Amino acid sequence: MIIKDKVFEIYPDNISAEQIAHTKHVNSLTPEGLAVAAMKDVDPDFLKKLGNGKIMIGGSNFGCNSSREWAPSALMYAGVELLIAQSFSRIFFRNAINIGLPILESPEINEYVSVGDELEVDLSTGEIKNITTGKKTQGTILPAFLLKIMTSGGLLETLDAER
Amino acid sequence: MNLVEKILARASGREKVAPGEVVVANVDSLILHDLSGYITSRVFEKEVKRKMRYPERVAMVFDHHFSPPNEERARILEENRAFARRHGIHLFDCGSGNIHNVAVRNGFVRPGTIVVGSDSHTPVHGTLGCFAVGLGNNSNAGTVMPFGKAWFKVPETIQVKISGQNKPGVCARDVALWLTGQIGEGGVVYKAMQFTGPYIKELEVWDRWLFPLITIDVGGKCSFIEPDEKTVNFVKGITDEPFEVITSDPDCEFADVWEYDASGLEPQVAASPTLGNVKPVGEFAGAPVQWAELGGHGGGRLEDIRQAAYILRGRKIAPGVKFNLVPSSREVFTEACREGLVQLLHEAGCTWFPPSTGSNQAINMGAMAETEAMVSTHARNFPGRNGSPKAMMYLGSASTVAASAVKGCIADPREFTV
Repeated sequence: MIIKDKVFEIYPDNISAEQIAHTKHVNSLTPEGLAVAAMKDVDPDFLKKLGNGKIMIGGSNFGCNSSREWAPSALMYAGVELLIAQSFSRIFFRNAINIGLPILESPEINEYVSVGDELEVDLSTGEIKNITTGKKTQGTILPAFLLKIMTSGGLLETLDAER
Repeated sequence: MNLVEKILARASGREKVAPGEVVVANVDSLILHDLSGYITSRVFEKEVKRKMRYPERVAMVFDHHFSPPNEERARILEENRAFARRHGIHLFDCGSGNIHNVAVRNGFVRPGTIVVGSDSHTPVHGTLGCFAVGLGNNSNAGTVMPFGKAWFKVPETIQVKISGQNKPGVCARDVALWLTGQIGEGGVVYKAMQFTGPYIKELEVWDRWLFPLITIDVGGKCSFIEPDEKTVNFVKGITDEPFEVITSDPDCEFADVWEYDASGLEPQVAASPTLGNVKPVGEFAGAPVQWAELGGHGGGRLEDIRQAAYILRGRKIAPGVKFNLVPSSREVFTEACREGLVQLLHEAGCTWFPPSTGSNQAINMGAMAETEAMVSTHARNFPGRNGSPKAMMYLGSASTVAASAVKGCIADPREFTV
C-alpha cells in the first residue's frame, strides 16, 4: 500500500490517548462524533489543518496511557490517511492496526520532514520518500500478518473476509 | 526464553518464539469493566455476530460504578447485565470491588496463563506470573470472544532489579512511585519488564502488585514477577482450578538490565499533571488538601487500610478534610471489619464507600472543583480526571494519605510513624 500526501502537522512526544479523544468531547461514538473530538485539547485547529494534507507526524510514545480504541478511530474519521510517529504506545499501536488506521513507526522521522512536505510512503517496504526535499528514510516494517489486517480495513473486516 | 516468551510459545503451539514475532495465542481470561463493557458487547453483537466460545473465561466487573448516578448510567449497566445474561459470562455487579482485585480473588488470574482485558491497567496481573495485557474492543470482541484467541507481538524484555530495604515510614508504594519517575513515562515503550531482585522477592503478593501496576504508565506492554512459593500458595488459597507454573529459563537474555537501590528512599508524592512529577514528600509538604482517598486500581488494599489505621489510631482528620475509604473488594472490607479497622477509621472522621474503584475518573464520586485538591493512592493524576482540570491530585502511600488527612495538607508520614 502506497500513500502519497502532504504533512499537515508535527506533534510532540507523549500525546496520550485521553488527549487524542477526550471523553468530555466525545458525545457519541459515531464517526462524526469522534471526528469532531479528535485532538481538540492538543490542537484546536486540527480539523482545519487536515485541509492542507492527510499525513500526521507524532513524537515518541504516541497514544500513551488510556486503552480507548476510539482514539485512533477519531483520527481516522477526522480524515488522517497516515500517521507516522517516532514510536507508538502499544495499545494505541494495536488499536490502530485493528481498526485499519495506517500507521508507521520511524524513530528518525523528525529529521526528515517539515510541515507542508509531500511524502510518498510504501507501507510494505517501510520506505518514506520526501518528494519536497528529495530525502529518504525508513520506517519499521510491520509483520505481514499485521500489515494485512491494517491495510484491509482492520481486524473485523479481515475476519469478515475469511468467513 | 523468559516467562512471557514461554507462555506465548505454549499458548500458540510453538516450540519457540522471539521478540518481534507475531503469534496467535489462546487466551485464558478476558476481564471487562462497566465503562467499556457495553461498547465491546455492541461490537460483538452488531458487527462480529458469532457465538461466545468460552463464556466461562469472561468476567465483567462493575467497578467504576458502585451505584449509578443518573438514568443514562443506569441504562448502560442494564445493557451490560443483559449482555452478560445472554451469553452466560460472569458478572460482578455494583459493590463487588475493583476490577483487578475481583479478577484475582475469583480465580481468573493464575500463573502461566494469558489474561487480557479492556482496562489499561490489566498488566498488573503479571504479578502472579501471567502474560497480561490490555486490548481494544476489536480484539476482545473480534477474536477473544468468538475464538478464545488474540494476536500478540512478542515484546523485548527489560530486567528491572530492585535491591535494598526501606527506611521506617517508607513502603512499597513509595518505591513504585519513585520507579515510575526513574523509568520515565515513555521509558519502556512496547517492552516487557521483569521485576526482580531481593527487594521484590521479600514483598508479599499484594505489595508486589504495585510494581506491574505501573507498566502502562511507563509505556510498557506487560510486566511479570517470577512465581515462587508465595505466589503458588496465594493462588491455591483462592482457586481449585489447576495451573502450571512457568518460570524464565535461568540463561534467558534480556534486552537490558536496570538496577535500582531503594535503601535511601524518602516517602514519595507524584503531583499533577503527570506521574513523572514524583518527588520526596518534603517537596510538596504544606500544600493544602480537602480530599483524601484510599482507592483506585492499586489502592484500598487491606495493607493500605491498616497503614491508615496505624496513623489515625487515637487521632482525628483535620476539619475541612473528607477522607474516602474504598475497599478494593468485599473480602478486604470483611477483614477490615474483623480487625476493628472499620470502626476505628469511622471514629477518626473517615467515610466508608462501597467496594469499587473509588473516584477513578469521578464516575460516581470524587469530582473536584478547581479550588480543590486530593491526596490518594490512585494510579493516575492527569488533569481533569477528577472534575476540574485545575484540581490537583497528589499520589502517595496510604501512610502519606492518612498523615496528610490529619494535617489538612501534604505531610510526611514519618511525623506519625517514626
